[in-house]
Amino acid sequence: MKKIIQAAALICATVVLTAPASLRAHGLEGDRFFPPTPLTDDPFAVDELSLPEVEYNPASASHEVDITGSFTKEIFPKFALSIQDTYINLNPKGGPAQDGWSPLDFSAKYQLWEVPEHEFILSIGSDFTLGGTGSKALPSYQYYTTYTPSLYLGKGFNELPDSLKFFRPLAITTVTGYDLFSNAAASNALEWSGSLQYSIPYLQEHVEDAGIPRPFRDMIPLVEFQMTTPTNKDAVPTTGTINPGILWEGKYCQISAEVSIPINSRSGPAVGGLIQVQIFIDDLFPKVFGHPIFGSDDNNNDSNSGK
Amino acid sequence: MRPFLTILFTLASLSLAHAHAFLDHADPKVGSTVVHSPSVVKIWFTMEVQSTLTKIQVFDAAGHEVDKNDATVDPANKVLMAVSVPKLPSGMYKVIWHAVCPWGHHTTGDFTFNVAGP
Repeated sequence: MKKIIQAAALICATVVLTAPASLRAHGLEGDRFFPPTPLTDDPFAVDELSLPEVEYNPASASHEVDITGSFTKEIFPKFALSIQDTYINLNPKGGPAQDGWSPLDFSAKYQLWEVPEHEFILSIGSDFTLGGTGSKALPSYQYYTTYTPSLYLGKGFNELPDSLKFFRPLAITTVTGYDLFSNAAASNALEWSGSLQYSIPYLQEHVEDAGIPRPFRDMIPLVEFQMTTPTNKDAVPTTGTINPGILWEGKYCQISAEVSIPINSRSGPAVGGLIQVQIFIDDLFPKVFGHPIFGSDDNNNDSNSGK
Repeated sequence: MRPFLTILFTLASLSLAHAHAFLDHADPKVGSTVVHSPSVVKIWFTMEVQSTLTKIQVFDAAGHEVDKNDATVDPANKVLMAVSVPKLPSGMYKVIWHAVCPWGHHTTGDFTFNVAGP
């Protein structure tokens, strides 16, 4: 598995150093491009292919490696459905290795409210994690289904005054969801995650051309957090991670790398990390992807500000 | 896992046509201050754009369009578009661009530059 991680890192580095100008797809609100980030689902209901996201925690007791793939398709304008699954590899110290698939995850999302001139978007949606669809060999196997209605938000800092213009490339995204289980005995939980991003492409294109060369001008430093707060009476405290990292926008793909820092001992024994590759399928295959199946859409993938 | 990585590497290496045009750089530079009025405002996009549908407009601080409405794509270099402007008095100017790539996808954006001198 270590060799796989090393190979993935080598390919990522090669792509970053040899690829020409970046090309962003989807996720545009006004002048703002909201990239898909590894832990905080972006608020856009557009075509996306994440293949693969590799998460590795070398210091955890189970030495867990997760390889996730997800595909999202815009069905109607501003409404998309997605499917996701994760292959989990556990290598506990002193124990036998275990492999298997997580439960299948489906989700639906709708872009409810957009204000391009304020770089603002609010979306609603829900995840459905189907019980009984994962590998029974894994300790995390669930026979019951989880529903997670969620609220997605994105906001750019474009309204800051000229005296603070170098903060305009900042943006936030958040997702707030509530886990509801088909099994009454399971503990419900609030899921909350978010990202704070500083877009160097935004700085170069809309604030000031600082002459930053590639590949650095195509990078977005960011910090993400992902938390779970159980809400039952005898619930355990909040668990989660804070994830500083960097994201690079390529011509046909985006690569993210983050360090995963647990917020307390319940969240994990040590620092881990993750790498995600996001394929811009609407740029690779523009005739096939980047459009809803039914109806026409001229806002998400294409124009932005409309000024 | 090997097929996974092979697919990834292939996708990253492909030279297929791509679908969205964004600003690569401009003259005057984004957010810059120039001493004298430029005679043209140029934008280089990240990919070729359609000449008939792509446009650049320049506005003064009061919101009046000041360009000569003659934006054209360079036929020898279709990532470059330019629009003429008269001699601009000192002040802040806003450039708004609207690009359409060969696949028909629209993108828009804006930036400002400052003319310092008379």
